[in-house]
Amino acid sequence: MSYRIPMGPYHPALEEPYKLDMLCEGETVVDAKLHIGFNFRGIEHLTETRNYIQDIALVERVCGICSNIHTLTFCQAMEQLTGQTPPPRAQYIRVIVAELERLHSHTLWAGIAAKLMGFKTMFMTCFELREKVMDVLQAISGNRVNYSMNRIGGVNRDIEDPTALLPMIEELEKEMARKVIPIFTTSSTARSRCAGIGVLTRDKAVSCAVVGPTARASGLPQDLRREAPYAAYSELVFDVPVEQDGDVRARLMVRALEIMESCRLLRQALIHMPPGEFHTPEGKIEFITGTALSRVEAPRGEVMYSVSWKEHSRNPSRVHVRTPTFVNMPAVRWMVQGARLADTPLIQASIDPCYSCTDR
Amino acid sequence: MTSLDSIAVLLGVPGPWEQKGGAHWLDPAGRSVRDVAAAMNACGARFVTITAYQLSGDAGMRLEYHWDLNGQLLGFHFVIASLTIESIYDLCEAADWIEREVHEGFAIDFTGREYEPLLLRAGATPGVNLREEGK
Repeated sequence: MSYRIPMGPYHPALEEPYKLDMLCEGETVVDAKLHIGFNFRGIEHLTETRNYIQDIALVERVCGICSNIHTLTFCQAMEQLTGQTPPPRAQYIRVIVAELERLHSHTLWAGIAAKLMGFKTMFMTCFELREKVMDVLQAISGNRVNYSMNRIGGVNRDIEDPTALLPMIEELEKEMARKVIPIFTTSSTARSRCAGIGVLTRDKAVSCAVVGPTARASGLPQDLRREAPYAAYSELVFDVPVEQDGDVRARLMVRALEIMESCRLLRQALIHMPPGEFHTPEGKIEFITGTALSRVEAPRGEVMYSVSWKEHSRNPSRVHVRTPTFVNMPAVRWMVQGARLADTPLIQASIDPCYSCTDR
Repeated sequence: MTSLDSIAVLLGVPGPWEQKGGAHWLDPAGRSVRDVAAAMNACGARFVTITAYQLSGDAGMRLEYHWDLNGQLLGFHFVIASLTIESIYDLCEAADWIEREVHEGFAIDFTGREYEPLLLRAGATPGVNLREEGK
């Protein structure tokens, strides 16, 4: 006999609202429907009623975890409409903040995943590390969540002594390599809860057009930092971790390896940051009529902004935000099919969903 | 690796591609959005999104469809005065949610598909959220 189990809109693990309606046969999920939009905020429309300075602050609030990525993508689009090119030092600072944000996001996710596995000691360890990442972000920007780093033509704050941050990055890397990664990759608790569950096959990943670690865990080697480099990524050396299994463990592995790659990128960017200005000269910014698109590899995958402006207008005429969770979420339907009901919270969490982004 | 010119040949449109505003644009020259979607599938491009723009007066809407091909962002635009366009959902599963969102936000009808239940605003009327009346 089949029956329906509604999960949400208050998720048992992630404190954001969405609903998964599951059709079950016994303990096995046969099919599922996803419902979003419980906190839809109409941010795209709000941007059309505000000027560019207010809009940068507004899009920073699309997401609480990858707030910097949204301002970076938005500013990159607006730089095309204003003809501004950020100086090289600003491009390096953008990489540093973006990679710290990736570390912050991935350690937060690792903690939540550990909690869902019933591995609460690991949850505390991950959150302790996340605090350290946030300390570095606070040292750079003065803020722990909304860093207010990006502006049209560069960044708002310089990193005066980049090498002073190196010990903090090395300490983080050491703890990741010593504690988090070995436990996630070798412990029987992690393996038994993650291996072989929530599988998204490569073919299904292609047809759902998933992005970020969700795609890379299903064997798709896509990463905008390498395929369409922005900021200073073309000058830095890094690998794009790819796993083939498409299960929760593969998504865990990809993020764990990305943590190490982020540390590698941070070390290079801090050592090789060029001297000079960190933004274009102050002055009135003039927009041209047109539409500009910008894409950035956020911790959860590709973010795209489309910004339209009319000359002499104070406000954009249209801003469209395509977030990674909006693309990855529909794939959860295929991941939970055939799964045990008890595994579904972890499967849903394995795409690192952000409902704040989705309900932008 | 598929080149941009071979896509134009595949679609049977003269081109050329125009690089503007962070994307490569090709005028579909009368080819339908389903023809474009089929060509994108054939060359292994990844669907990215649809962006809807409201045009002034009663000119309707402009829909911009985007695909990614090896890191290159491709764009095709369609102007629809009747607020109706064919759905590509059956050709491109990834277009499902964005078609539903554009339908709900701008009341554009993607023909040949079902919408219910509403994705973002259960129980509400489509098209009153992002579309301005009398613009």
